[in-house]
Amino acid sequence: MTGYLYEKDLSAMKYAILTSTRHDRVVRSIAEELNIPQIKLRKWMIDHFDMMLLENLPARYDQGRMARETNPPLEKKIGAALYTRAVPLISDGEMERIKKEVYALVKEGRPENDAVLAGREMIRDVILQ
Amino acid sequence: MSLLQSVKNLVRSHSIHVAYVDVGSCNGCDIEVLACLSPRYDIEQYGIYVHNNPREADILLVIGAYTPGWEEKLHTLWEKIPDPKAAIAIGNCPISGCLFNRPHSLVDPPVSKHIPIAAEVPGCPPRPTEILSAVLSLAPLVFKDYEVAKR
Amino acid sequence: MKRTVDVSIPIGPIHPCFKEPARVKCETKGEFVLSAEVELGYMKKGIERIMRGRPWQEVMFLAERVCGICSVIHNMVFIEALEQMSAIFVPDRAALLRVIVNELDRMQSHILANFSYCYTIEHETLAMYLLDVREQVMDELERITGARVTCAYIVPGGVRFDLRHEDALHLKANLAAIEGEVVRYMHMFESGPLIALRSRGIGVLTREAALEAYAVGPTARASGMPEVDRRLRHPTYKTLGFSPVSRTEGDNYARIMVRFQEVLESIGIIRRCLDMLPEGPIRGGGIPGAGEISYSGEAPRGELSYFVKTDAAGRVLDISIQTPSIMNIEACCHYMLKGVTSLADVPSTFVSADPCIACTER
Repeated sequence: MTGYLYEKDLSAMKYAILTSTRHDRVVRSIAEELNIPQIKLRKWMIDHFDMMLLENLPARYDQGRMARETNPPLEKKIGAALYTRAVPLISDGEMERIKKEVYALVKEGRPENDAVLAGREMIRDVILQ
Repeated sequence: MSLLQSVKNLVRSHSIHVAYVDVGSCNGCDIEVLACLSPRYDIEQYGIYVHNNPREADILLVIGAYTPGWEEKLHTLWEKIPDPKAAIAIGNCPISGCLFNRPHSLVDPPVSKHIPIAAEVPGCPPRPTEILSAVLSLAPLVFKDYEVAKR
Repeated sequence: MKRTVDVSIPIGPIHPCFKEPARVKCETKGEFVLSAEVELGYMKKGIERIMRGRPWQEVMFLAERVCGICSVIHNMVFIEALEQMSAIFVPDRAALLRVIVNELDRMQSHILANFSYCYTIEHETLAMYLLDVREQVMDELERITGARVTCAYIVPGGVRFDLRHEDALHLKANLAAIEGEVVRYMHMFESGPLIALRSRGIGVLTREAALEAYAVGPTARASGMPEVDRRLRHPTYKTLGFSPVSRTEGDNYARIMVRFQEVLESIGIIRRCLDMLPEGPIRGGGIPGAGEISYSGEAPRGELSYFVKTDAAGRVLDISIQTPSIMNIEACCHYMLKGVTSLADVPSTFVSADPCIACTER
């Protein structure tokens, strides 16, 4: 038999999942927080997540948000646990590096909000590269 | 009729292997097919054996309204079933799409567009007894004197 | 995550053990499963898309057909969401009848899940016993609601049919028989040495992982989280005084045992309802109006949430359904299946989370 029997391109189905109301809300809020174009974030998610994780995205995101409140304030603002464990956008190693850099920035005397913004910028760069 | 043919008829009438495939239903018909297995209906007393292997099946029960995931897969599955074979549509979904056949839905009913359907059991969902009687009444029509009819 | 491995073994979509099509892709090292992915797309009907713009009278029946196994709870959650939104009063008798039907539905769903598991570990005797008990539960469900699967029993402001006195007596008598059999099969499952070999310590879901994937229902309760039971927050269930079942092992064995124990718990709840059942009307009437709500209930598989937005005529403008299987299958494929030592345990672990693909994809 010629042609692929099983490895069908699933992007259309994955896109159908991502466009439902709650998924759309989650993608929009992540895109807004990290300042990534929504289309690029959706594309990235379709490329990297399996369908089950995509389906479960809203529940994980809400759960991650709740867990975020228990973390130390700076990490919570960057979304250290949210973007590695709940919605695995970047790896743990990358997040460690970003955390260290943000802490260094704060030590240098940058205001905390600025440092967090810089941290989010770094997350964005990791995702978009 | 040759001796061989009568032996084949005898064997086929007491051994019907059934596979079921869900091509996008609500699950209700699925569990009614499973309920046929239960000791109350006891599908195996008629020599019907339900398992999910298309390669040794005689009858394919198609459940559901045909979703895009099954394009190219359902037909391949149908081809894998050895002759003689027949497909039965269980429930309203494969017949008409039931209430999923509305604007903006993703389904593409009826299933008879995609594979040949020999019998239909309407209902949402049909009772296990109806499924059972459909299989039992279709089987002799398809399998009896199959080689003679083919010629 | 995409990466390249030596062996990626696909299981499904047509598999003798799966009731519904799903494709589990296991990346293995020998027999050891390193990670697993689930691919869906075989059941996506787009129910939420069909529902939008339709009157609630139609959406009610569509909601029921999100899942055929737990159809009663879908009906119940959608209708109760409408009731909360428009402040529709439900008579006491109707509220208790809802609980009775919902618990019967839970019983048949749990027994079916345990049947699937026993069938998957090739213990066909126990599986067939359980399927026979399930038929008795289905009989009761049919006697009360008039249909086996999609019964649309619950309507805004009440229920469709009253419970006749002789049906109540029949239900009580049958519950005693069912309880006896379920207890017997539970002991068979508990003490079977071969069942223990195939079930204990396999597919462990830790409490942390369950929290992370937001696992719900029996899957989470088997990992020591009794508080996930949404019934604790339901006004009618609160008056019935029940305590959720929970275990701490978090393996396949615990999940099946939790379901067995919940069946017995449900029998207790139904008995209490029958004792408390007051005389009175079963329909209070009321018309759903405009509003927006997020409402959850406890389905057999866990927390089921409906986000509904309607206009003044009761038309559904926007709806989003979060079914329990989404979280449970996710927890199953990304946490339980990781570290399963033999590929033969993959289907049984997958089935032990009670996956319902029709729910998941809608």
